[in-house]
Amino acid sequence: MILRSIELESFGRFRGQTIEFRRGLNLVIGPNEAGKSTIAGAVPAVLFGTDRLERFKPWGRNVCSAVLFFEGQGRTIQVKRNLITDEVELIEKDDLYHVLSQFTGKAPLRGRSTSCREYRALLESLLGIADESLFRATYFFGHQPQEWSGEELAQKLRTLVSGTAETDYAEILDGLLNEHFQLTRRNPWGRDKQRDREYEEICQQLNEQGEAEPVETVPVFVEIDSSADIKEQIEKLSIELEGDHQEYEKGLRYIEHVRRQMPETSEHVDSTVVEGKPATLRTSTDKDNLGEQLAAAGLPQNPPRELPELLSEAAQVRQEFAELQQPFSVLNNREKKILTVPWMTLGLIVALLIAGIAVSWWQDFQFLWISVGAGICSTLFLGWGAWRQIERKKALAESRKERSRLEQKKLEAQKRQAGLSERCEAFGLPSSAVDLVRLQKLVTKHRELLEKCWNLAGIAVAESDACENGNASEDEEATEVGNASSDNDDAEKELLQLEALMTGFEAEFKRKELRLQNLRLQFNELSVNQDSRAKIPGTALHNRKRELEERITVLRKAINLLAGAVDEFSRSHLARLNDEASKLFGKITGGRYAAIKLDENMAPSVQVDGRRWVPVDHFSRGTVDAIYMSLRIALAKVRDDGRSLPLMLDDPFVHLDQKRLATTLNLIDLASADGQLILFSHNLDLGKRAARERWHVIPLDEDTVDTSSMEGEGHAGQLHLL
Amino acid sequence: MTRLLGSAHIETLAREESVPGVLVRMVLKQAEHADSEEKMLLENALQLLLTRFQVMGGDDS
Repeated sequence: MILRSIELESFGRFRGQTIEFRRGLNLVIGPNEAGKSTIAGAVPAVLFGTDRLERFKPWGRNVCSAVLFFEGQGRTIQVKRNLITDEVELIEKDDLYHVLSQFTGKAPLRGRSTSCREYRALLESLLGIADESLFRATYFFGHQPQEWSGEELAQKLRTLVSGTAETDYAEILDGLLNEHFQLTRRNPWGRDKQRDREYEEICQQLNEQGEAEPVETVPVFVEIDSSADIKEQIEKLSIELEGDHQEYEKGLRYIEHVRRQMPETSEHVDSTVVEGKPATLRTSTDKDNLGEQLAAAGLPQNPPRELPELLSEAAQVRQEFAELQQPFSVLNNREKKILTVPWMTLGLIVALLIAGIAVSWWQDFQFLWISVGAGICSTLFLGWGAWRQIERKKALAESRKERSRLEQKKLEAQKRQAGLSERCEAFGLPSSAVDLVRLQKLVTKHRELLEKCWNLAGIAVAESDACENGNASEDEEATEVGNASSDNDDAEKELLQLEALMTGFEAEFKRKELRLQNLRLQFNELSVNQDSRAKIPGTALHNRKRELEERITVLRKAINLLAGAVDEFSRSHLARLNDEASKLFGKITGGRYAAIKLDENMAPSVQVDGRRWVPVDHFSRGTVDAIYMSLRIALAKVRDDGRSLPLMLDDPFVHLDQKRLATTLNLIDLASADGQLILFSHNLDLGKRAARERWHVIPLDEDTVDTSSMEGEGHAGQLHLL
Repeated sequence: MTRLLGSAHIETLAREESVPGVLVRMVLKQAEHADSEEKMLLENALQLLLTRFQVMGGDDS
């Protein structure tokens, strides 16, 4: 794509003039104030708009507009702009004058409207550039190179080499890193930061609440399965109770039947039973009351005396399990930190050294010294690797030893827990950790009740012994009174036995019913707890922790991706840019300096004597100009992308001496061979060279401009020296 | 393939010779061998970066 012409309808000191250009090198030549810079400035002003309207607006007129005509690849592109209103008309046509694309609308320089975006997108697709800053930095070379030096140049180059104008990826990367380190002090790219951030603070809070890592720290006592256990127990107990109830009904019916069989003796028997055991009955009533109180408190009806001891042991086992988690976690982290030996790298280094020896032998150059040096280096590297390997093995062995010690402790704790569960089951106590914790709380709370219960149990045992003796004497008395009927005696005995059995059965039945009731209550409580878990502060912290972890993961991924992309892009483009710039600079300086290099901060340096790299500010002004020009032309070539916009040079040679000027002109002549280059200069000597080289010359002088500025005048005078 | 990674905008970006272009190509390459969780992570990271590019580039779209 070349710039075919500029139509200056009312622009600066030009009115109704058309300047035509050709492929290759175009020289716009004229004295100062002839309008060279105005023409040069017209291109970016029309394409992108300007914030220096006063520079182009004709004095005393309210119109300022110009039209650019681009041509190439079977298409013409016409861009017309009114600089006062920023109204733009862009038309793309094919060879047959069919309109391919079109835009009409307002598009100011820093506009952000939809219309502006549409226009810039069209420019980008047609000319490969949609940004004034990028255009000026890439295709436009003014006569003030000092404005492109130091940090400003570095930042501009960094931006341009990154591929998108006005976007500094280092700044985006910094922003992402800042956000990351606001969330966490962990630094995967270096040493951790000093101060705890929100993530660490939340972890700390959760640790203090004992909820930091619920699954890892208390794995044996997770409440998740307790509701399922309870549900299972409820179902089992319900079935049992149903069977028991039927048996109890049967028993009652049978007792009624037996009583009906012996109506005469029943009263006697009843009175004997009631009068003969008053103390036992009283104890039994107390016990029943106590049982009800225990059941209401959620305690077992017959709590064993060993209960506090069992619970204390259970607490110890729990403590042991909890204490074991921390060392395991520390051990895992320590194992992760044990570094592996980079054998691959070492192998490569040794291979390179061997290759060096082979080359020196082949070239017959310092073979002995190189062999000795390489041998020493190889030995050192391999020795270092072996030492690191030994250290690693030692560290791993220590870690394994520590792990086996911890495993042993864990095994012992598990054995103790299994023994404890068996003992609990033997006493009819629940063995699950959750039940035991709850039981421990209840025991602490209802200690007095339990003491009372155990005292009563002691009295009951003593009375039971006494009753047995009393029964024996009563039996003797009954024998003395005489046997009413031997059959009735047997029936009475059987009835007594049955009634005793039924009393026991009834107590057991009630106990089971209470147990069922308690289980149902527990189940309901657990369900409510699970439902409301999301509302408690601990869960909110966990949720925030998860959110932070997700954000941190995304940020880390984004940072790594962006760093990788910038690195890859810079590597490929910087390498090309350095190559191109070095070639151009080498030609300008006649081979005195072989290479230019941009470091990661985009600061240029020049290779001197084939080895030393010297920063650009150590050179003379002329050399610095040559360096920047080489970089700029190289940048235009690297960014060209086949669209080849004109390179515009506005008197860039003012600081070059005659020799370098000649070389530079050769260079730009070469650069224009496969595209278009427009050179603006006041140096009339260039006209002679233009005649020799067959450049397209557009002379400007004050008279010409003054004359041509009149209305109705046609093209500016153009001289083609062929 | 998730919604953003399969979009026309991403395909256009992937053809660009620019940092975003290289970035999108890297993401697409990694996504080829990634499971659904990793793909989601890649998509979220890409979305975050593209948003930052637009903000820094002065594009309010």
